[in-house]
Amino acid sequence: MITVNEKWTPFITLYVRELKRFMKVSVQTVFSPLISSGLYLLIFGVSLGNSIDLGHNVTYLAFLIPGLVMMSVLNNAFQNSSSSIVSGKFSGDLEDWKISPLRESEILLALALGGLTRGLVVGVVTFLTGEAFYYFMNGELLPVVAPLWLLVFLLLGGSSFALFGVTIAFWARTFDQLSAVTSFILLPLIYLGGVFFSIETLHPFWKLISRLNPLCYFINGVRYGMLGMSDVGVYEAFIVSLIAFGAFYLLAHYSLKRASYARW
Amino acid sequence: MNDSPLKISHLVKKYNSFAAVNDVSFEMKTGEIYGLLGPNGAGKTSIISCIVTLQDPTSGDIQIFGKNPHKEPLEAKKYIGFVPQEVINHGYFDVYEILEFQAGYFGRSNSKEKIDYLLQRLGLWEHRNKKVKALSGGMKRRLLIAKALVHDPKILLLDEPTAGVDIELRLKLWEFVLELKKQGISILLTTHYLEEAEELCDRVGILQKGQLLTEGPTRELVRKLTKRKVFLKLRAAPPMNHPQLIGMNEDLWEFLVSPEKGVGELLEELKIPIADLLDVKIEEGSLEDAFRHVLGTL
Repeated sequence: MITVNEKWTPFITLYVRELKRFMKVSVQTVFSPLISSGLYLLIFGVSLGNSIDLGHNVTYLAFLIPGLVMMSVLNNAFQNSSSSIVSGKFSGDLEDWKISPLRESEILLALALGGLTRGLVVGVVTFLTGEAFYYFMNGELLPVVAPLWLLVFLLLGGSSFALFGVTIAFWARTFDQLSAVTSFILLPLIYLGGVFFSIETLHPFWKLISRLNPLCYFINGVRYGMLGMSDVGVYEAFIVSLIAFGAFYLLAHYSLKRASYARW
Repeated sequence: MNDSPLKISHLVKKYNSFAAVNDVSFEMKTGEIYGLLGPNGAGKTSIISCIVTLQDPTSGDIQIFGKNPHKEPLEAKKYIGFVPQEVINHGYFDVYEILEFQAGYFGRSNSKEKIDYLLQRLGLWEHRNKKVKALSGGMKRRLLIAKALVHDPKILLLDEPTAGVDIELRLKLWEFVLELKKQGISILLTTHYLEEAEELCDRVGILQKGQLLTEGPTRELVRKLTKRKVFLKLRAAPPMNHPQLIGMNEDLWEFLVSPEKGVGELLEELKIPIADLLDVKIEEGSLEDAFRHVLGTL
């Protein structure tokens, strides 16, 4: 007979472990992204932003902030779950999970929530940095127009990329494979998803390509949540994001079913 | 919980076409120490890996107190404590956190008392805030044992727990293992130290090339599979054609006899009066002799 306490404790333990893991190296996981976001805001938002006119009475700095927030969330959610698994493969930690009564669903949920939490923490730090820049440039804070939509897209995007991190990390057989996915798939998807530019400004061909990128919908959803405007309709963005989340979940689930917990 | 702590039936584990474990069956009794012995590559670790679900068996059945760990993992795994051969690094976490997590994975949320007991009992209390990389080899080994025991398992699997460990620590570990046995924990261990296995194990199974060649109570196996050496110092030479006479060293005549045969019976066969016997020395067969006999290397 398994008690309620026994039932939830393994999952809670793994989630707490994930939180402690990234907080122990918070300089690298939380504050280092603050520097890179600050540099993006300074170079693109402040220096170059004055010469970019987007219309809609939106400054380039305001346009950039939601993109950077989402980029931080996606990147960090992915990094957290993938590095946890890969370092676990290397050190042997994964064997502890395998021999314990942890269910696969609990492992998946704990890793996804851990990644999402780190993504949101870094996202908030990036948002606050953006607000500081905006206040410095405009003498007022950037208002959040639709906070519920903002939250929905942050949760969908962060969870999706934490799950993607699980998929890739369990699939990878070497560090090289993991870094290849980061360099050749993840970064292009993020940068071409509309973090720094409006897809409306692209050639129709590239516009079509961008619309096939699920990140375009996550990023534009967050932009809608903050600014009340985006390149994609909010309901369209929501539906595509939801489908993308489902696909990332299924991929992660499949990957975990076939996963090897053996050491490298 | 009347079932056997561990019952393995017709277990097969193949890696591609190579059978690392080939139709192995044995059953443990509650509170006993069972030794799985065999040369490197005999299949000991593969069997343990299948029990703890690190590997999926190709066929056969494993039951932990009547539950298959692959089919009913939640029920079966809570009974198992596992000490692997290799040390786990755990990078970011200290000894105390590692034990807290391990207890938590097994559903134990309030494990402070148990963790404190194990840290003190295994001499890790002063090192509880250290990371694994700061521990010595012996301390790492003790941490593995603490991890395996933190959720109060009913069966402990020890895969070469004393490999590369100094004599003092080895003796302490075995002392601790005997203490666990007294508490009613069943213990399955693999070891290369046959002398220790002979002293500790109630029963042993001898593996070679994935097959369990023989198993049984340790003393019984030794008796069945070995002979005793009897060294006699005599006033006069014994009959040189006696089939059990195998040599003479200094002034001692060496005989190889079955374990049942006493010195009196031997003297009678040799037709030597007791008054001509000046001294006698007996060497009983060992588990190592039995092991080598089974493997055909004696």
